[in-house]
Amino acid sequence: MLPEQHDILWTFITIAFTVFSLYAFINVLGHCRENENVNTKLWGGVFAAFFITNFFLTKHMFTLVQRDQMMFIPWQLATILTLLFTWGVFFKSTEIESQSPPITRAMFFWMTVSVCLAGYTNWLPQQRSDPPPKGGAAISEDLTMEEYTEMGRIIVFGAKQVAGQKSIGKGQCPLCHTFDPGDNIGRCPNLFGVQERSETRIKEDRYKTSPVAIGEKEPASGIIKGKPMEIDEAYRRGGSDELIGEDYLRESLMCPTCYVVEGYGKDGDTKSPMPVISKPPISLSPVELNAVIAWLQSKDTPGEFSNVTVPLPSAASQAEAAPAGGGEEEERPVFVTGDEDIQTMINTLGCPLCHTIPGVEGAMGTLGPVLHEKTNAPNRIKDSRYEGKATNTKEYVRESILSPSAYVVMNEEAGELFPDGLMPQTFSTMLSVKALDKLVDFISQTEAPAEG
Amino acid sequence: MLGKKASLSRTLPLLAVMLFAFSLFVPNFVSDSFAKEAFAERAFAEEAFAKEVLAEEEAAEGAAEEECEISQDVFYKDWEGNPLKGCVSGNPAPELGETDYNTYSFAPSRMILWISNQQHLYFGSFVLAVPIFCMVIEFIGIRTRKEDPVMAQKYDKLAHDLMKISLTAYSWTAILGGVLLFTFITLFPGFFKYMATIFRPVMHVYALMFLAESGVLYVYYYGWDKMSADPFLKWVHVSLSALLNLIGTVLMYLANSWATFMQAPGGIDEQGRFLGNIWHVIHSTLWNPVGVHRILGNIVFGGGIVGAYAAYHYLNARNEEEKAHYDWVCYVAMFIAIFGLIPLPFAGYWLMKEVYAFRQQMGITLMGGIMAWLFIIQAVMIGLLFFGANSYLHNGMSRVKGSERYMKYCKYMVLTLILMFTMWMTPHTIVMTPAELKVMGGAQHPIVGHFGVMSAKNTAVNIMITTTVLCFLLYQRSNKKITVPWATIGNCWIAAIFVGAAANIAFLGVYGYFLPANQRVGLSVPQVTSTLTTLFAGTAINISMFKDSESYGDIEWGTQSKVGTYAIFMLAISFTWLMGLMGYIRSAVRLFWHVTEVVRDNSVDAYTLTIGEAGKILTFNTLFVWVQIVIVFWVGSLTGKKAVVEKAPEGVPVPAQQQQ
Repeated sequence: MLPEQHDILWTFITIAFTVFSLYAFINVLGHCRENENVNTKLWGGVFAAFFITNFFLTKHMFTLVQRDQMMFIPWQLATILTLLFTWGVFFKSTEIESQSPPITRAMFFWMTVSVCLAGYTNWLPQQRSDPPPKGGAAISEDLTMEEYTEMGRIIVFGAKQVAGQKSIGKGQCPLCHTFDPGDNIGRCPNLFGVQERSETRIKEDRYKTSPVAIGEKEPASGIIKGKPMEIDEAYRRGGSDELIGEDYLRESLMCPTCYVVEGYGKDGDTKSPMPVISKPPISLSPVELNAVIAWLQSKDTPGEFSNVTVPLPSAASQAEAAPAGGGEEEERPVFVTGDEDIQTMINTLGCPLCHTIPGVEGAMGTLGPVLHEKTNAPNRIKDSRYEGKATNTKEYVRESILSPSAYVVMNEEAGELFPDGLMPQTFSTMLSVKALDKLVDFISQTEAPAEG
Repeated sequence: MLGKKASLSRTLPLLAVMLFAFSLFVPNFVSDSFAKEAFAERAFAEEAFAKEVLAEEEAAEGAAEEECEISQDVFYKDWEGNPLKGCVSGNPAPELGETDYNTYSFAPSRMILWISNQQHLYFGSFVLAVPIFCMVIEFIGIRTRKEDPVMAQKYDKLAHDLMKISLTAYSWTAILGGVLLFTFITLFPGFFKYMATIFRPVMHVYALMFLAESGVLYVYYYGWDKMSADPFLKWVHVSLSALLNLIGTVLMYLANSWATFMQAPGGIDEQGRFLGNIWHVIHSTLWNPVGVHRILGNIVFGGGIVGAYAAYHYLNARNEEEKAHYDWVCYVAMFIAIFGLIPLPFAGYWLMKEVYAFRQQMGITLMGGIMAWLFIIQAVMIGLLFFGANSYLHNGMSRVKGSERYMKYCKYMVLTLILMFTMWMTPHTIVMTPAELKVMGGAQHPIVGHFGVMSAKNTAVNIMITTTVLCFLLYQRSNKKITVPWATIGNCWIAAIFVGAAANIAFLGVYGYFLPANQRVGLSVPQVTSTLTTLFAGTAINISMFKDSESYGDIEWGTQSKVGTYAIFMLAISFTWLMGLMGYIRSAVRLFWHVTEVVRDNSVDAYTLTIGEAGKILTFNTLFVWVQIVIVFWVGSLTGKKAVVEKAPEGVPVPAQQQQ
């Protein structure tokens, strides 16, 4: 449901409560009629009041949206519990369980169990998955190789990571592949050292003949194996037609069945279970596919990009290749120029996910420290644990953004340091100089809101 | 006991034999299906080959391009594993835009469609299941007519009463179907247009089959009394129920084809263009497993509804006769539900196997990706089912004379269930704050984390099923004094089977930790085999031992405890919620596709819901359908109330207590 809409379950329950209070009122009236000793006016009035109260509570529920409804429903629940208690007093515990028909008790049982199940599902970790953008990533300006490989990493793992949960990006690679040495979930090969393997594999006999021979067309993907110049023009690399490691990686992505690693295929390792990455459902664009190749070629040598043979894309080249009308909601590596307003900048960088930042709407994160840097930064610089180079608030904030591990803040509530390493170390690649200055200026002025 | 003392012992073996026969039938059916698929694939391949040759010949003559364009199927393959080629006979799937979706302000279109669809499916499931029960119950009634006319009439009356309810539910289902159709047309016009274009002939056949279903249903129900007097006509009548089930099954399979096409399409090319063979479109890869899974699911859900109906009437009963009757109906419904439940996981395995075969990525999204938590919830629901079933049996045993010999074991069985359930629902990894992660030393707990893997879970669920089977065997023999000369040997065999099965399951569970994941999967087969051995061999030996047994006394129908009755409610809630959950999982795994990889969902609702959001809709669907079911039962009871006023005819079944 959208935030501005009613919650369908709470709406149903609030109606059910009012219907039940009406039923209780009628039930009590019936008993009053049968028993002359009962004060009909008193009890009729009490249960009529319950009904009217519930009716107005329900009416009020219809003026609320779902979040507010959830906060309000306990009040109605309390009213119903009071009604049940009063009902018990009315019957003075005399055969109380036979004073209402089984349908009422059954429905209560039904609702309680069902709502508990809904509660259970809300207690579990919540993760909403949005569809990937149509088309592919857009390059608005020329990138460095570091930025380009980071783009590849985001395609593989996604931009957002939740602690303790497997992070999966548009490429969905971690569903089956692992990337660290010794790690293997048994579905698809571990990709540690894949750059090196890509160079040697193309020379192996098995590659040349199995499951299709070089020069043959693999039917499912339509790719001719071992012929980099025969690949669809949009995905084709430039240069000579000699087979190189990059071609093997590209072929593995665009034609997984062109070569199947032993033990990971179907039908005697003649068919790969992997989908063609350039086709639906994943549909990586040429720029994205090359970014993944660049990341695969460089991931085992952090900061070193000499193994990358994929050329950098330029904004101009992508503009030529981009289909018309496909770029309105495209995903791109996070980068802020400083021309945005501060709220947009902070949201784009994802700071609110972890930090509570006064003056930024919705910034209520708790994974990292609250940003009251106008008051906190000077104290931290004086802290005996501080080993950074900052001498004033702005320098401290700048240092914290660019080198988060320089000083790890103490979590006073938990009595321990905030976890080191959680904050991305890559903000230097996400911010222009102008943007960094703007962000530092703003964060340096944050302080706790005045009380009262 | 109703229908004299021999009736239960006669009925249970018969049902057990049917269960056994059914279990034999399912693999045969499965293998038949595979054989048919293989045959169909061969036929397709030949057809394709012929078409290719023809196309080549025509191309050589320069005529092919004028007549049709050849394209590749997204799913079907030819002999050599190459995509099957076909003649393009339709337009490409549309690229849907904003104008292809309509909305209301009060709720997202997707939710409205989900609720409409689920409500229709719930009722459809019920009205398809009831004729299956009626067919079986009426058949049992006919078979027992000579030996036990009172019991036979009781069976017949039960089948007739169920049909009466089903008749009202049938109209309700049709109305909900109309609501669903209009929701589709009005809120998703662009997508519905594409589906209607592809499935045009299927939709018309569906409508005609619906007409046939209605006709046979009315003849079957309104002809009940007239066809009861003559034995031959009674056989004709029960044959009508078989026909009714046949048509109902065809109806369901036709409707399934739309859903399975959306999940795993076939018969079209990458652009979504129809390739001229409607059978390919219908018979996509998930069609058979979804069909079998739904038939079994319908039986379970139907059993749950009838059980809850009987449980409610049991609580509401005004005299001993009514209590005895509805207590007995609870038992029959419970038996039917469990009868459908036991093979259901195997159909589920088959379905998942086909999902993995279609796209491994889709399977992993289900079992290890964003849908994985929903399977944890499924585990909890299955745990609830086992607790409900065992609670019912434990409470049911207490009303059987002689059961005190076995009641002392109940607490150990409950303890085993609790332990296994805890293991069964232990997640592999859980989302934590960094501080929590740090304290625990990783996303997996160093000790409890070991229970989160498949080895532990397979072990847990198999032990839970085995415990339930043991509970059922004890229930069966509660009032029996075994007199066969080989009683000791028989008991030893039963004990050996259960102890052996438990030991084997546990050993394989532990052994699994020492094997790589791809080999570990294979251990589930011998574990399940052990469980099934306890079910079939244990039940067979147990029933064989009842020969010439003496009775400590009959089951005192009508004395079921309230806890046992509420256990039936619990089962019904769990079935309903679980059915909605699994349906959601199956449908939501398409993620942002209307038709996987062909028609993208470009609506604002194309996201995958959080678990909590989905859970609330599932709960709403469960509550809403039961409100409707109560209304349908109430409407169905209006004619019954009138009948009570009339004088009871001669030969009406005598309640058990009065017979004794």
